Amino acid sequence: MIPFEMVEPQSLQEAVSLLDPEEPTIRPVAGGTALMLMMKAGVFQPTRLICLHAIEPEHARITVSGEALRIGAMATLSDVEHDANVAARLPVLKRAMRTLSNVRVRNVARVGGALAHGDPHMDLPPVLAALGAKVSVAGPKGHRELPVEALYSGYYETVLEKNELITSVTVPARNGRKATYMKVTSRTADDWPALGVAVSFAHKDGTIRDPIVIVSAATEKLTRMTSTEKELQGATVDDKALARAGEAAAAEAQILADAHGTAAYKRELLKVYLRRAVRQALAEG
Amino acid sequence: MKQVGREIPRLEVRAKVTGRADYVHNLRLPGMLYGKVARATVPHGRIRRIDTASAQKIPGVHRVIAGEDIRKLIAEPYYGPAFHDQPILALNKVRHVGEPVAVVLASDPHVAERAAQMIAVEYDELPAVYDEVAAMQPDVVVHDMLKPAGTFADLKHLKGRTNTNVALDYHLRRGDLDAAMARADRVVEHTFKTQQCLHLALEPFVSVAEPGDGVLTIHTSSQTPSFVRTEIARLFGWPENRVRVKVPHLGGGFGAKVYVKLEALVAALAVLVRRPVKIALTMEEQFYMITKHPTTFRIKSGVDRDGKVVARACEVFWNGGAYADIGPRVTQKSGFTAAGPYDIDNINIDSYELYTNRTPAGALRGFGIPQLVWAYESHSDLLARELGIDPVEFRRRNVLREGRPQASGTAMKDAAIAQVLDAIAARMGWSKPFDRGHGTMRRGRGIAIGFKASISPTTSVAIVNVSADGSTTLYTSTVDMGQGSDTAFAQMVAEILDLAAEDVRVVHPDTDVTPYDMGTLGSRSLFHMGNAVRLAAEDARDKLRALAAEAGLPEGTNYPPAEIFKKRYGMQAGNIIGTASFVPTYKSPNAQTGLSDNVTPFWMIGGAGVEVEVDTETGAVRVTKLVNAADCGTPINPAIARTQLSGAAIMQLGFTLSEDMRLDGGQVTNASLADYKIPGIRDIPPMENVLVEAEQHSGPFGAKGLGESGTFGVSPAIANAIHDAVGVRITSLPITAEVVLRALRAQAGKPLEDE
Amino acid sequence: MSNMRTINFTLNGQEVSADIEPHRNLVELLQRFDLFGARESCGQGLCGCCTVLVDGKAVSGCLYFAVWVDGKSVTTVESLDAEGVLSIVQQAFIECGAFQCGFCTPGFVLMVHQLLKEHPSPSDDDIRHYLSGNLCRCAAYPEIIEAVKVAARRA
Repeated sequence: MIPFEMVEPQSLQEAVSLLDPEEPTIRPVAGGTALMLMMKAGVFQPTRLICLHAIEPEHARITVSGEALRIGAMATLSDVEHDANVAARLPVLKRAMRTLSNVRVRNVARVGGALAHGDPHMDLPPVLAALGAKVSVAGPKGHRELPVEALYSGYYETVLEKNELITSVTVPARNGRKATYMKVTSRTADDWPALGVAVSFAHKDGTIRDPIVIVSAATEKLTRMTSTEKELQGATVDDKALARAGEAAAAEAQILADAHGTAAYKRELLKVYLRRAVRQALAEG
Repeated sequence: MKQVGREIPRLEVRAKVTGRADYVHNLRLPGMLYGKVARATVPHGRIRRIDTASAQKIPGVHRVIAGEDIRKLIAEPYYGPAFHDQPILALNKVRHVGEPVAVVLASDPHVAERAAQMIAVEYDELPAVYDEVAAMQPDVVVHDMLKPAGTFADLKHLKGRTNTNVALDYHLRRGDLDAAMARADRVVEHTFKTQQCLHLALEPFVSVAEPGDGVLTIHTSSQTPSFVRTEIARLFGWPENRVRVKVPHLGGGFGAKVYVKLEALVAALAVLVRRPVKIALTMEEQFYMITKHPTTFRIKSGVDRDGKVVARACEVFWNGGAYADIGPRVTQKSGFTAAGPYDIDNINIDSYELYTNRTPAGALRGFGIPQLVWAYESHSDLLARELGIDPVEFRRRNVLREGRPQASGTAMKDAAIAQVLDAIAARMGWSKPFDRGHGTMRRGRGIAIGFKASISPTTSVAIVNVSADGSTTLYTSTVDMGQGSDTAFAQMVAEILDLAAEDVRVVHPDTDVTPYDMGTLGSRSLFHMGNAVRLAAEDARDKLRALAAEAGLPEGTNYPPAEIFKKRYGMQAGNIIGTASFVPTYKSPNAQTGLSDNVTPFWMIGGAGVEVEVDTETGAVRVTKLVNAADCGTPINPAIARTQLSGAAIMQLGFTLSEDMRLDGGQVTNASLADYKIPGIRDIPPMENVLVEAEQHSGPFGAKGLGESGTFGVSPAIANAIHDAVGVRITSLPITAEVVLRALRAQAGKPLEDE
Repeated sequence: MSNMRTINFTLNGQEVSADIEPHRNLVELLQRFDLFGARESCGQGLCGCCTVLVDGKAVSGCLYFAVWVDGKSVTTVESLDAEGVLSIVQQAFIECGAFQCGFCTPGFVLMVHQLLKEHPSPSDDDIRHYLSGNLCRCAAYPEIIEAVKVAARRA
């Protein structure tokens, strides 16, 4: 690893001011688990890292405000995994944590980094997107808020400016909606997913209402599947309807080939796992 | 108390659980420099220019060294166990991506790493060949001329050969194949392929060379310290006693850390700069060191009406990569058994080792046997299906029975083939009704058995030292890399000298101290070194008796050694050195027929039974039961033997289902544990490990080697179980979910698109 | 070098300090204290050979900047038998033969310590979940699972 400078701002404002919108070799670091992989591989060689640890206490809290749950960006993934409010309100999020990387990474990696990294294989963004979560972003011009699914612009690319930082993510009340996330690995159990499918929907009178369908890992970026959602809207949960939705998803998703499988194979997985996800969401309640 | 057969924990357990075990990784010496290798970026090319100027300018860089610098020190800087074909650093040409081209030396490894990235090499790229069958044609030639090492008689005819990639061809002719095929009721032919995999020890390769006064010491993660000494001495033109090779604990080997790997490089660097030099590879760099042969195996059998195999032709192509390493031995030694553990009168075997522009291939837990068993046991299953015979019954009709000559002409002796088959069938409940699943989840089961000849003839020497207080130390150059050899040998010494095994100290390999051993490989240690250890301990026992007689103690009395020494020398003084060498007999195969009635001192037998669930919608295969069985002779330490069997089977499970070194234009595209997937704790099926106890009459206390046997049957047993479950036959490894789904769709007439 | 900084931390119960640059990881820092039980192997946080506890929580030493332990408490495998007595987990690993080459063993042992702290009676699923980030190429997994159960019964 090549030497670099590490600075430790004492406030969010200072952190933002230390970032440079024009300088890609300066980046923020919180848990560092993903960033260090890029540094070791030589694909990222920083001149300066802005370490966010000093501002951790006020941005690591997980709080309930009204019906919504607010997760500070500096919360570790294991904070989320073990939080009582998460367990009570968002069991799908707690479950997703169990197969997300491993215990050591979750002890260190932060929610903000997991959202900002932009690797489409990550597990947290699809779950949060399916739950309708929004991220709060701080920049030199103040705060803005955007849905998780709007965060991604490409492979390892987000819409964030280089001097913007995610400060928190807010998950709205579930209101009885069903939700699940299915991570599909094609080689070993601890592999990165070949496909991620996250769904949430209301289930009234035996039909699906207001579904959100998110696909990850198999696509260049996390993608919300609007055509598939239309197909599911008002549908009863039966094999026929789910098969139609699966076909819609396979047609809609821009699936890429990689070491986990060809695009043709992953389209088949998507058809199968969309159906399984809807059924699992119903079963898990 | 009886020592042999005790299930004592390994001798070194405490050091291992406390993190204090001594690995080469821990070693740092005063003045030591770290070397970082700059590697070839093209698969085949002539080196036009190596620009080291900008690397040399990085502050902290001690020196940058390339191939021509090595040549100033060593005129012919080529090494290898079978061929002297591998340059210490590339000269003139590179032959695979990742081949070492230059090295940066610095006190800080980060500085060396950064500088190595600055080395610019220009190449005239040459066409490359990656496939073993394509390499049979000399359209692309990897080596201009073949340079056999001269150690092996059967390679001599290859000397000076040009315009070929064939680094060894082995041919066996038994009976009259053509006539038998013509008479057969049915003739069935298949082709099977295996992929490139690697050992991936969690301790990556690491070596340190330490120049000293009249001796160069090499601390290395090696399975073959004696060979390293011989080969380094040869390269420098020194006597062996000027090279000292030390091996502490080894963090896994599996056949990777055999012969010379980093040792020639660190030795040359240390001599050049006159300082200790350490090179520790990263996980990624292991993908450029040594791998397991990809293979293509064409197998054709003639069978009669009763399900007896009457003729078999085997053509095996071994993809050896850019340097021969031990590939020619794999080609020949595994060639003996390519027709399987079956009693067949008419056999042709043609086995070819090919140079290609890939990372070199060597031995990986089975010395080529798992590739062969994959083919012949998949083929066996297809034959049984074709004939409508139960696969266990089909094998029972054909297996080699005790005393029958195997393909090479060597008789099967102490080879519990039928017993292993029966043990698996019993544990699988083969004769009981089987739940075949329903809906999209289908169940199936399969079995497979394989066998192996030990590498021969090879030598082991042991020393047993009884000190004046009676405490005993064993000196061997066997490397305990987790297989438990230290413990097993201590049990043998203790048995003979009437001690507790825990009280025997085993000195780790140090060629200044421990005597010669051919190497810790091919499951040979327990048999070869075990025999030497047993004989050395008996020698010590006999000398102790003689000492007692000299001291005037009456014969047949049981004085403790300490009293004998005291009586003889008047105080606690003196010692007894027991020594022994062991080398089994061997007869080279006939050059024309490939036959010999003595190709191996013992046979290894292993097999597996598997139950699977196949998800017909995704192709995902879940192994729900894995039975491993092996003939282990009489186990010295059954508990350790079982973990060997289990570990080998799990390793082979990875080679079967997920591991695959992928190439794109000669570049490895998945050189990391993130993308090359080995089994983790959530991938382990319910397992049963069965030691089939028999007696190896020529083995120490009836024992034989076992480290590889657990790998033999796993892959074909899984393919056979998948066929049983869903009716498709997979003929290439690895068997990923996608491969299975594609086969299912093709079977249904609805094939998946290619991309 | 100008980037050098002095950090103070607790290492296996003792107050220590070190001068170190930001690009060095925790494994390198520990080597300066002659602690070699945490080993960098895969370099990607996947194999667990470099497991270290920081403020009681397991981290991958190869993916953790050394400067980050400033002011924190670091525990390595070498502390577990500080009194010369093996921990229950270490003893169980020995009894069950839960390793072969031993290179990955310290990482497994530390992960099991964290597992049993958080789940004193772990289910099979808990065991697999906590240890899914540790690889053993010798594949002593069945014996490791057994060792965790033995340790849990005694803890």
